[in-house]
This record gives sequence, structure tokens and C-alpha cells, in this order.
Amino acid sequence: MSTAAGKGISGEGDVRSWKREPIKPGKSDDQLQALAAERFGLARDAKDRWNLTMTLAAGQAKAKLHEVVRVLRDDPELRFDMLLDLAAIDYLSYPNHRGPRFAVVYLFKSLVFRHRFKLKVEVEEDDAELPSIHDLYRIADWSEREVFDQMGVVFSGHPNLKRILNHHEFIGHPLRKDYPCQKRQKLSINDPMVDQLESRLKHFGYQVVDSGEVHLGAPIAAKHQSVAEQGSVDTQKQKNAAGAVGAGGI
Amino acid sequence: MTFKPVPATVAAVSDSFVPDGVIATSVEAVVNWGRRNSLWPFPFGTACCGIEFMGVVSSVFDISRFGAELVRFSPRQADLLIIAGTITYKQAPVLRRIYDQMCEPKWVISAGACATSGGFYDCYCTVPGIDEIIPVDIYIAGCPPRPEAFLEGLVQLQNKIAREHLKEQKAVGA
Amino acid sequence: MRVLTPEGDHLDFMTLNMGPSHPATHGTLRIFCALDGETMKAAVCEMGYLHRGFEKMVEQGTYSMVLPYTDRLNYCSAMINNIGFCKAVEKMFNVTVPERCITLRVVLIELSRIIDHLVCSCTNLVDLGALTNFWYFFNTREEVYKIWEKLCGQRLTNTVTRIGGMYRDAYPGFEDDVRKVLVKIEAAVAEVRGLIEHNKIFIDRTKDVCVVSAEEAISYGWTGPCLRASGVDRDLRKDEPYYGYETYQFDTVVGETGDTFDRIMIRLYEMLESVSIVRQALDRLKPGPVNAPDARLSLPDRDRVYHDMEALINSFKLIYEGVRPPPGECYDAIEAANGELGFHITSDGGTNPYRIKVRPPCFTQYAAFGPMCEGEMIADAAATLGSINIIAGELDR
Ligand code: SF4
Repeated sequence: MSTAAGKGISGEGDVRSWKREPIKPGKSDDQLQALAAERFGLARDAKDRWNLTMTLAAGQAKAKLHEVVRVLRDDPELRFDMLLDLAAIDYLSYPNHRGPRFAVVYLFKSLVFRHRFKLKVEVEEDDAELPSIHDLYRIADWSEREVFDQMGVVFSGHPNLKRILNHHEFIGHPLRKDYPCQKRQKLSINDPMVDQLESRLKHFGYQVVDSGEVHLGAPIAAKHQSVAEQGSVDTQKQKNAAGAVGAGGI
Repeated sequence: MTFKPVPATVAAVSDSFVPDGVIATSVEAVVNWGRRNSLWPFPFGTACCGIEFMGVVSSVFDISRFGAELVRFSPRQADLLIIAGTITYKQAPVLRRIYDQMCEPKWVISAGACATSGGFYDCYCTVPGIDEIIPVDIYIAGCPPRPEAFLEGLVQLQNKIAREHLKEQKAVGA
Repeated sequence: MRVLTPEGDHLDFMTLNMGPSHPATHGTLRIFCALDGETMKAAVCEMGYLHRGFEKMVEQGTYSMVLPYTDRLNYCSAMINNIGFCKAVEKMFNVTVPERCITLRVVLIELSRIIDHLVCSCTNLVDLGALTNFWYFFNTREEVYKIWEKLCGQRLTNTVTRIGGMYRDAYPGFEDDVRKVLVKIEAAVAEVRGLIEHNKIFIDRTKDVCVVSAEEAISYGWTGPCLRASGVDRDLRKDEPYYGYETYQFDTVVGETGDTFDRIMIRLYEMLESVSIVRQALDRLKPGPVNAPDARLSLPDRDRVYHDMEALINSFKLIYEGVRPPPGECYDAIEAANGELGFHITSDGGTNPYRIKVRPPCFTQYAAFGPMCEGEMIADAAATLGSINIIAGELDR
């Protein structure tokens, strides 16, 4: 058995792509740091003491982010061809924090070289907007939706910036530190998603003449009430929840 | 709901008027006997408890010993709704709709801490107990409940069905 | 839904809503598609039906209180999540756990990978109508659960690790039990392979269905078995080895076309590789401590707690406040059953995590699902959804 090369499913051999090659040694964190500082003027983030995180300041993000990410992806020495995840952080209650309230950390990984890169983009509270990179990485489409949903950072140029984890009637952004953990919001009826399907059909060149009807049943709010009246639920609990949500929630 | 005294399930009559092999009983007892021993569950498994329910159906624990192995994924064909897993507010309208689509008579088992009370997810998105949305007959404790607990819950439900009266409409939240 | 095609024809598409309550979507995924006959012309997916606020809940408690929540991310292989999280926090402390703990963790990771693949493969095959495989695999899985029960008293949600070590050492006889189970796993895999590998119906249903090219898979950020099915030989255990994986003899299994067949078969073969890793790890298992001798992480000896004031305070503090990683931000990843499972932990130096972002492997796979099945038959979509193994707990968190 060799550990160097993988075993194909239908027997040994038949290597079809270069990707079967073992991963090549990558750049060290220091090399990457020097490179990022020189090419994009990024500074190393002192908070990450374990790996390399480079910071893109809030003022520069709009102009530079897309270009920086494109170079990270395409540069033959870097080849960060995988966007692993977007992690948004709200520093509202972080002790002794100076600087913008939010940060979005882009986690990159290369499949060619053994190195990783974290790009931290600072985001101001009153201008929480970043350029979308959905055209560079397909996964960015959904990852950006998640950051928008959970943290309220808007991505300009995103084709479909809808909520993804929370329901479409949700108000606010739950992972912000000022969103109370137990503030519940009810949903009356599920998102029909017809608009998404139509835009997808348009993408393939179809023109929607008549979208027809989509049945999702009656909204749930009225039925909630009738169960409550039978006394089988803790009505007070429900009232509290409803009160906390306000007019838009139910 | 109040329960009247339970009639004997099946009472054999050793009377000289009726020939051998004929038994006399109440319609109620026979109907309930049929209902409780042929429950067709609709597993509304959303999370970890749903995986454990799959274990209950598999051959080691074998739910068919209790006559409830015919798992149906259409609410029209099922009479037992087993909610196994966390219900979120996004899921709630779906659950309610599934329940409404089931035909009478129908029963509901809430399996696991999450379905029963929200479990340890006391959060902006989780329903603190499905009885906010639909009525529940049996609650099963556990996170997830052991397969034996599932079966115990099923037996409890069967006992409950045996005590039901045909004349009394089941109180449903419709 | 009436549409005008690019050629100027009028067509009537049927819109179909699959899920969230549908046997193939595990109760939590929703696919909304436009059908032309049986072909899916366009499909959009929705998630979030199991969004239970993991990332908000973990901010409410201490680091140790995060562990039970990690169990419920990927509940088919809870131990990998436990270990992944502990590994990330241990990295923040710069602590290495003792040798025995590492080897035990390797055994548990690989066994968990096996049961995850067992559940994934057999439910996938049930979606295709091959019910027999379900019995074969679930019986084997129950055998593993018997070991889990002896080890920590729980079947599914084990919380078996602690930051800095294990909940406790393995019970006497653990190794024999595992070895016996390994034989059964091999037998079950052989049985299922015998049933499907050359089965014409199975091959017709899965070969060249929903093909994902390597480029697409990478652009979608796929990792793990699904990425390898597309022919990309990348595995964290090989590329960035941890826990001494570089010293084990095993192969990565790589697919050729990236179709549903490859994705299913990869899992079957990977189980056999995992079996071999477990055997090697068991050979190396030597007696020794399982908890790091570090007062910041591990509870002191019970004996000392009763006689030594320092140890008593230490124990008290650890239980009430838990561990306090140094302030900062740290990302650490582990090769879970579905791919790269990462934890991006932000600590403010306090007892509660400031923010934990999970990098769930399923998320990337489900993001690709809609585009993947456009142009395919609706029945194939169900089979494919099983093959990318979406676990909603991890997808929606
Ligand atoms: S009760 Fe526990 S096991 Fe069941 S769904 Fe909830 S968290 Fe999962």
C-alpha cells in the first residue's frame, strides 16, 4: 500500500487529473505576511496569535476587497482556490476593543499548496456594506447570505441577498451582541420562493409568462390562537413572545 | 378529557345461547383494539431524535412488534404523528399543516426534550415545545430518548387509545 | 408556470415543492423546482428549517458547556465534533494531550466516521429503494453504539471528550470489543457491496447522474468524500496531519467522475480504510493518563481535592467557571466524516466564548445541490441528495 497516491474506485491506476498529485509545500505565515503587506498594504492582525490573519481596514474594503481576493485566488504562487467560510464577528462588547464594530473573516485555503490565509475585513456599523465576491467563488453566494442574515452586513452586487437561516419574516440580526438570545419571532407562512425560481429560469434564458399559483396553506397565526384558547398551551408564554416581537412578528 | 370506566377489551361469553367460537363485546372495544395495534406512524424527524427513531424501526429494536412499523411519509395515510427533533419557528407552519392534513382519528407523540420543551435550545429560533402549535398525546423524555423509551411511549399511547370513547370527539386544535 | 423558451416556444412547467417534510429531505431541506415532464429545469433550495441558534447559544455558557452543543451538529458522528472542538480550544492553550488520549481519539474519530458513512450510505440506498442494506448497516451500527454506551453511557450524543483530554479512560475490554466490531463492519460492507456494486439497477440509477466536476466542487468549497469523488485527492489527514495521522498507513479513496455512484462508493471504501486505521491505532494503545496535566484545563485528582486546598480551589474554579483561553481568534479544522469541520473561536479572555463560528462541511455541499440537479430527473435528485450527506444539525446549526 502506498500512502502517496490515492486509490481509484475501480482499481488502481487511471489517474485522470493533476489533482491526484500530493499537495505541495506552501509558503510560511511570515512569507505570506510579507507578501500581503507588500502587494496590498495589509497589516497583520494581533488578535490571531496562532495563524496568520491580515486585516483590511474599513475605509479600503469597498475599493480593494474584490481585487485582493481575485489576486489571492489567481496568483500562481498563492492559488487560494477554496473559500472555506465567512465568519462575521460583532465586537460590541469585546473588552478594550478599538476600531469598527464588525469584522468579516474570509477563510481561504489552497488545494495546490499547503497554506491557508485569513483575511479580516473591518466593517463600520453605520456603513455595513462590502462588495460581493460571488463571482469569484460560487460558495460566496450562500456564505454572504448567511453573514447578512446573522450579522446584518450587506453585500453590494449580490444577486439574491435574502435571509438563509432565519425565516423571511424575521426582523433584526440575531448574532449581533445587542439581539437578546430569547427574543423569539414567529413565522406565519413559509416563503413561496417563486421569485427565486423565476430568476433561476431567467438565468437559463426562459421568460416567465405566468407564474401560476403556489399553495402553501393558510397562515399559521390564526391557528395558533385557537390552540391557545383551548388552554393546552401556556398562553402567557405565548403572549410574552408575541409582545417581544412587536407588530411585524406575527 | 374525562375517562369513563373502561369496558373489558374482549369478553368471551360462555353462554349456552351462543355457539362456540362466538364472542360478544362492545363495538368500542373492538375498534380501539384495532386502532391501537395498527398505528401507522408519520415520522416528523427533523434532528438527532429522528436518527434514533430510525434505530427504533431497524431490526434490533423492531417497532413492528408493536404493530407500528408501517412508516408512512404521507400525512393522509398516517394516524400517528411522531415529532422527533427540534421544531423551529421556520418549521412551525409546516408541522401545523402536516397535522391538519392527517385524518381523524390521529394521535401525536412528542419525542425528546426539544419537541417537548425546546430542550436546551432556548433561543430566538426554537419553539419552546410543540404544544404551542399542535395538541400532544404522549411526551417522551430524553435527549435523544433511548429506543426503549420510544417503545414505552408507544405502549403508553396504545393504553390511552384503549380507553377512548367513540362518542366523545377527540379535542383537536382545529 | 407558463414560460417562453429562448427559441420562442410556449411551455408549461410544473412547479413542485419537495420538502421540508419529505423522506428524502430528512425533514429539513426544501427544494422548489420547475419541471418539464420529469426533468428539473430549474431548482432552488432553502435551508434553515433546523436553525436552532448554535452560535448564539454557545455564547451563553462556558467552554465546557459548548461540548454538548457540538454533539448535535453532526449527530451521526457526534464524537468527531467533540474532538474537533476540543482540539481547537487546546490549540488556543498550546496544550498537547497525552499519547493515550490522542490514540483513543483516533480510534473514536475513525469509528465515528464509519458509523456516519453507514447511516449515510444506507439511507441513501433506501432512497433508491434498496431496503435490505438498511438492515445490514443499522445492525452493525447498533454494535458500535453498544461500545459507545459502555464507554460513556450515551448512544448518539456522547460528549465523550473534555477540553484537555477525555471524559474518562476506556473501560477494560474496550479493545476487544472494537476489534470484534471491526470484523462485523467489514462483513457488512462486503455484503452491501455484493448487493449493489454490480447491480444493474443501482448502476443505471447512479452512474453519470448529477456529475460535479473538480472545478465546480472546488469553487463551491467542497471538502471530504464529496470532493474526493470528483477526483481531487485532498484529505486533511494527509495534507495537514494532526494526531499523528502521517504515521498511519492508509489510502485516500478518490473517485473519477464525481457522479452519485462515486460519492456512494467512496464512503463504502473509506470505511475499510478507517477500519485499517483503527486496527493500527489499537496496536499502539498503551496505558497512560488521558488528561493533560495542566491545571488550567484538567480537573485535579479526586484524592488531592480532598486533602489539598489548592486542588480544591482549582477543581471548584474549573467546574464553575471552566477554562479561559487566552484572548484572540483562532481557527482550527479537522477532517470530519463529511469534510473539513472548522471552528473559528473568538475569545475575549473570559469564561464564555465570545463568538464561535462553525465551518460546517454540509453547507458547501447543499449550496451546490440546486445547480447540480438542474437538467436531471426528479427521482435522481432524491438519490443525489442522499449521496452528498446533508446533516441538518450541522447545515443549519
Ligand atoms: S432532544 Fe436532544 S437529541 Fe433530540 S432533537 Fe433535541 S437535541 Fe437532538
